[in-house]
Amino acid sequence: MRVLDAGERKYFELRLKRQYGVDKAFEDLILIKAGQGRVRAVTKEAFEVAKRLKKVQQVGVYVAKISKGDVILSIEGSQMLNGKITKNVIDLDEEGAERWMKAEVMPAQGTWEGKYLVGRCGDLYLGSSRITRDGKLYPQIAKWRRVPIE
Amino acid sequence: MSEDLKEYLNKIPDLDLDLFLESCERSLPEGFRVNTIKSSEEKILNRLRRKGFIFEKIPWARYGYILKEGGELGRTLEHMLGLIYLQGPVSMAPVEVLDPKPGDIVLDLCAAPGSKSTQIAQLLGGEGVIVANDVHHERIKALSSNLQRFGVINCVITLTDGRKYPKFARGFFDKVLVDVPCSSLGIISKDWGIAKSWSSSLVQRLSKIQYQLLAAGFDCLKPGGVLVYSTCTLTVEENELVIDRLLKERKNARLDEIHLPSLRFRKGVVEWDGKHLDQDLEKTIRIMPYDNWAEGFYIAKIVKEVDGK
Repeated sequence: MRVLDAGERKYFELRLKRQYGVDKAFEDLILIKAGQGRVRAVTKEAFEVAKRLKKVQQVGVYVAKISKGDVILSIEGSQMLNGKITKNVIDLDEEGAERWMKAEVMPAQGTWEGKYLVGRCGDLYLGSSRITRDGKLYPQIAKWRRVPIE
Repeated sequence: MSEDLKEYLNKIPDLDLDLFLESCERSLPEGFRVNTIKSSEEKILNRLRRKGFIFEKIPWARYGYILKEGGELGRTLEHMLGLIYLQGPVSMAPVEVLDPKPGDIVLDLCAAPGSKSTQIAQLLGGEGVIVANDVHHERIKALSSNLQRFGVINCVITLTDGRKYPKFARGFFDKVLVDVPCSSLGIISKDWGIAKSWSSSLVQRLSKIQYQLLAAGFDCLKPGGVLVYSTCTLTVEENELVIDRLLKERKNARLDEIHLPSLRFRKGVVEWDGKHLDQDLEKTIRIMPYDNWAEGFYIAKIVKEVDGK
């Protein structure tokens, strides 16, 4: 378990601000580096308990991946930032949310900054999707989280 | 079902073999919990209602429901987003008995695949810590996935033999759940292979491991702490005899009464094979599969006394 140092945390927060307009992300939580650019968030108390134990495999939840300077939010990461994400959010109806959660390639209307945006259906956040220059969405849903295709 | 098993089941006091066999033929009810870590109970239920799901509240489990109609919950957006967790209705009872409170440090000693760990996390309400341990690497993946999907930020996952836990965490936890691997006679209708592979030697082997896990869990409790031991089986060797041994070997272990509204169950066995067991075992509960037409379970609630009180 390696905690993001001050510089790494600041970089992460800056990227979140620039990409998603998030101010003060994961404030009361400890952020852990989890390999391949992955970031996990855990409460301070759970982190202290983990230090006391042995054979610790994981703490908290996976919230984001930093890939080539871009932040890709996991479903839980985007849900935890609920209300703080003000930029690069695409609103989906129920059908769109189902397609998103099937990781289907979808068209996105409008103009977007950067390579990733976050999906939202009502007050449910669905994690990040890659958006291509020609306006196609590629939702970044892990295989085990996908709604099965009929 | 083998004649050996039928003969064994016939010996269990208060077990109606015909009803038991009928329960094995019936499919188990589909239960689920709504995840109040992620959204409000009413919002999630309304989403399900809009999609045509019909369900009933489970009286003994906070946030627990039984699906009555509507299709496969496991294929829904709500399941994949972690707004609901599929779990058998009686399987929710042990954590209700443990009754974790915000701020508690709780150990789930045999945690995979994580149903009860997520339930504990929900009752902690984000305050305190759930430590979810399992010994199998493969099963840890499922545990990790379920805690992730449920959004549990105050969790620690450990991979070790639960029997070794007191070496580094003696007297550390406020509450401990010891939901041990067992011969699973309470859930035969899920898999008839359970009945086919049953043998008295398997039960003896499991009983030994179960006691070791229980003793380890008990040793990890703080004085005044509460431990819940549970199995989804009906054999006395895996249930009352395990608890009876703990009561003999840990003088500061005391059984506590269990209250679960509307759940039908019977008292623990206090006589077996001509031997008298600790009379307090009547405070433990046996839930036959036909009691609620759901899973069969055994649950014991143990308190670690402070200075022998």
